[in-house]
Amino acid sequence: MIRVRALRKHFDVHERPPGVAAAFRSLFRRQTKRVTAVDGIDLDIAPGERVGFLGPNGAGKTTTLKVLSGLLHPTSGEVAVDGHEPRRREDAFLKKIMLVLGQKQQLLWDLPPAETFELNRAVYDVPREQYRATMRELTELLELGDLVNKPARTLSLGERMKCELAAALIHRPRLLFLDEPTIGLDVSMQAVVRDFVKRYNEQNGATLILTSHYMEDVARLCPRVVVIDRGQIVYDGALEALVERTRPDKRIVLRFAREVDARDLESLGQLVRHGAGESVLQVPKDAVNGVVGRVLAELPVSDLTVESAPLEEVMSEVFARGRGSR
Amino acid sequence: MAGEPLPTSTPPSGRTSREPSRARATAVASRYARYARLLRTQIRASLLLGLQYRADFVLDATVNVFWTGAAILPLVIVFQSRASIAGWSFGEALMVTGWFTFLEGVLDGAINPSVADVVDHVRKGTLDFVLLKPADAQFLVSTTRLQPWRATNVLSAVAIFAWGFHLLGRAPTPGAVGLATLSMLAAVAVLYSLKTLAVSAAFYFVRVDNLTHLFDSVFDAARWPSNIFRGVVSVVFTFVIPLALMTTYPAEALLGSLPIRSLFGALGGAVVALTLSRAVWNRAIAHYTSAGG
Amino acid sequence: MSLRNTVRAFPTLLRVGFADAVAYRAEMLIWVLATTMPLVMLALWSTVAREAPVGRYGQAQFTAYFLATFVVRQITGSWVFYDINFAVRNGTLAMRLLRPVHPLWAYAAEALAAMPMRIVVSLPVAIVAWFVVGWAGMTHDPFLWAVWLVSIAGSWMITLLVNLLIGCAAFFLESSLKVMDAWLVAFFVFSGYLIPIDLFPPRLRAAVEWLPFRFQIGFPVEVVTGAHDRGAALALLAGQWAWVAAGLAATALVWRAGLRRFAAYGG
Repeated sequence: MIRVRALRKHFDVHERPPGVAAAFRSLFRRQTKRVTAVDGIDLDIAPGERVGFLGPNGAGKTTTLKVLSGLLHPTSGEVAVDGHEPRRREDAFLKKIMLVLGQKQQLLWDLPPAETFELNRAVYDVPREQYRATMRELTELLELGDLVNKPARTLSLGERMKCELAAALIHRPRLLFLDEPTIGLDVSMQAVVRDFVKRYNEQNGATLILTSHYMEDVARLCPRVVVIDRGQIVYDGALEALVERTRPDKRIVLRFAREVDARDLESLGQLVRHGAGESVLQVPKDAVNGVVGRVLAELPVSDLTVESAPLEEVMSEVFARGRGSR
Repeated sequence: MAGEPLPTSTPPSGRTSREPSRARATAVASRYARYARLLRTQIRASLLLGLQYRADFVLDATVNVFWTGAAILPLVIVFQSRASIAGWSFGEALMVTGWFTFLEGVLDGAINPSVADVVDHVRKGTLDFVLLKPADAQFLVSTTRLQPWRATNVLSAVAIFAWGFHLLGRAPTPGAVGLATLSMLAAVAVLYSLKTLAVSAAFYFVRVDNLTHLFDSVFDAARWPSNIFRGVVSVVFTFVIPLALMTTYPAEALLGSLPIRSLFGALGGAVVALTLSRAVWNRAIAHYTSAGG
Repeated sequence: MSLRNTVRAFPTLLRVGFADAVAYRAEMLIWVLATTMPLVMLALWSTVAREAPVGRYGQAQFTAYFLATFVVRQITGSWVFYDINFAVRNGTLAMRLLRPVHPLWAYAAEALAAMPMRIVVSLPVAIVAWFVVGWAGMTHDPFLWAVWLVSIAGSWMITLLVNLLIGCAAFFLESSLKVMDAWLVAFFVFSGYLIPIDLFPPRLRAAVEWLPFRFQIGFPVEVVTGAHDRGAALALLAGQWAWVAAGLAATALVWRAGLRRFAAYGG
């Protein structure tokens, strides 16, 4: 579906020095600085895959998405999306893809979403029959109900996002770019969006590329993650493997029937947290079985679970390592 | 600007001092000094902001000069066919144009950007940040978005006055300049009050930008001496938006022909307008805070 | 972007654009009310013409001229520029670029779709004008009325193209709003909006007649108030459409260059 080789993208940005005098000088002479947003990326994505792009702000995730969708022209390198060169923006290509930006909307602000749907039907030249079937399905899956007949500006953020998704899928794109689709949504609405997107992928075999700050989105949706840092791919593979590699330690979360002294736990492993309600022990993966056995035997345990390190922590460690090695 | 450190708060009141009245006077003085410092900071921030957009700067200056020329061209053409219109000679009418140019600079440089700012704040719900700052909210919103480039309008206005008096073959007396300044202050006060009223409406109806657009288009008529308008138009221009007070009075004052009664009327009107708009603003803020944004 | 796709989508673009214009009817009414300039100029020129006519304009001629100005301005006005400027600035243009319909065609459709609403809103003024002026200030020649219709189309095209052109300037300039301001100043002064072109001093007038502004307002107004005979009107019509052609070419060029820049910088 997607084949990227040695992709590079530079921007020339103006520098704005602080202070009135410097600002005056820059009225007449401007200094520009070359910023490399994407610095040699190779990537292959097969049809039907769900891939998450991870990386800190400014790592090059959105730039890569925009190059793949044809909005930005690469400085150098090869990009092929389903046999098309995205930068040419041919109709056939545009009809296959869709970009959903969580922070920007395509719904017509003062009109009901139904008008935007109708507009997209015409713009993407979707046959009436297919349009009706798609609309029926989307209305049911997203529980749109009569939302589609209220002016978009009167909808809540979550309702708007649902309609935004519906509008994006009217032409049944085979490749869906989602840039922060759940930003600002509450937890239950995030789940609705995730489930829906996953189902769309499974039922239509569409390829999905997602960027999100919510690790939960990526963990639930993407079997494969691509970690981008400073314009380069630092990891490409399964999420579990990344977690395993970065933080091989497991966490044992314990609840006790009565209070337990911290010293009793410290001898078992690294004590991450010790409070009235629960205690968390961090131990190497190989030692988990032994430690669990000892805890159960020696301490008044009422509840015990074994977890991996939280994703947020894993990611910040990945990026911190990336920095340290340079 | 959100990032600017605010000056320290006012010193403790006179209760602990042995000389309460003097302490209060110092407190008031330091309060004013604090607001002066704040104003300076805001102007500096606006200046920096303006400098970021150099194409804007060049275009702004060009548009300003161009607008001034545009304001005069119809006047020139109208006076080509007549020596005097509704009692105004060309040189005299230039006084009105001059004050209009000046007032437009005040409007575009200081008043309108703040109006846009407040409307934006209300729409986005970010006015809370302003209300939380330890300074008068009306002062803050009126000074955050100054456009210092509009000072070029003052230069244009002076040039127009010079041209007008050259045509009239005389110079204004110092007394006339004083009276004109006084009546201009009244005009600015009334303009500011009307805009404050319009902004206060933003707390009740969110879409007031159209209202202010309507206001600006009516204000445009102030480039002409007020007595050329008759009938309904003149009634609107006298009572709804007092255009005469804004440009014609200062022009007459500069020419030395403004009746002293009109001057007092203008000053009285300014005081009433300021008081009224301040009261409405306070009510609107109270409404905003009680409605929870 | 194939033309075929655009043509097939056009009726829907128009219909949705019309619905959008209807949703903005309150704003439109305010904008109509805010178009006070022709009326202020009418008051001014009437005062001037009270004692004796200016050029060929007596009070009645001025009334006809400025009411016609008002109507032409209402029908041919456009705010597409503000939409494009906004879309380029906050990045929503990206969404439009990813659709298989050319964004400029979509904007043109939106502008065209607002026309019926504009006509409805300015109709009352046209009726009042007819009652006040009657047929006295207007031409009686049906041929000239036909020319007027074509000239309205031309003036709408020039206004739209200017909007698109300056909208595309947003690709290059940090604030194309100022360019629009500058254009509007020139437009107000030189289009015949404030002063009928034939009252300009002769030398200035010669220059103004070559500029595009006059074809936006002055020309249709002059035709309908009977300032030109058939031959002269047709000659001017040719001039107007020459400007339309020039505008089309310029817009296409600037759009292409702007898009290249957008693709390099991401807007």
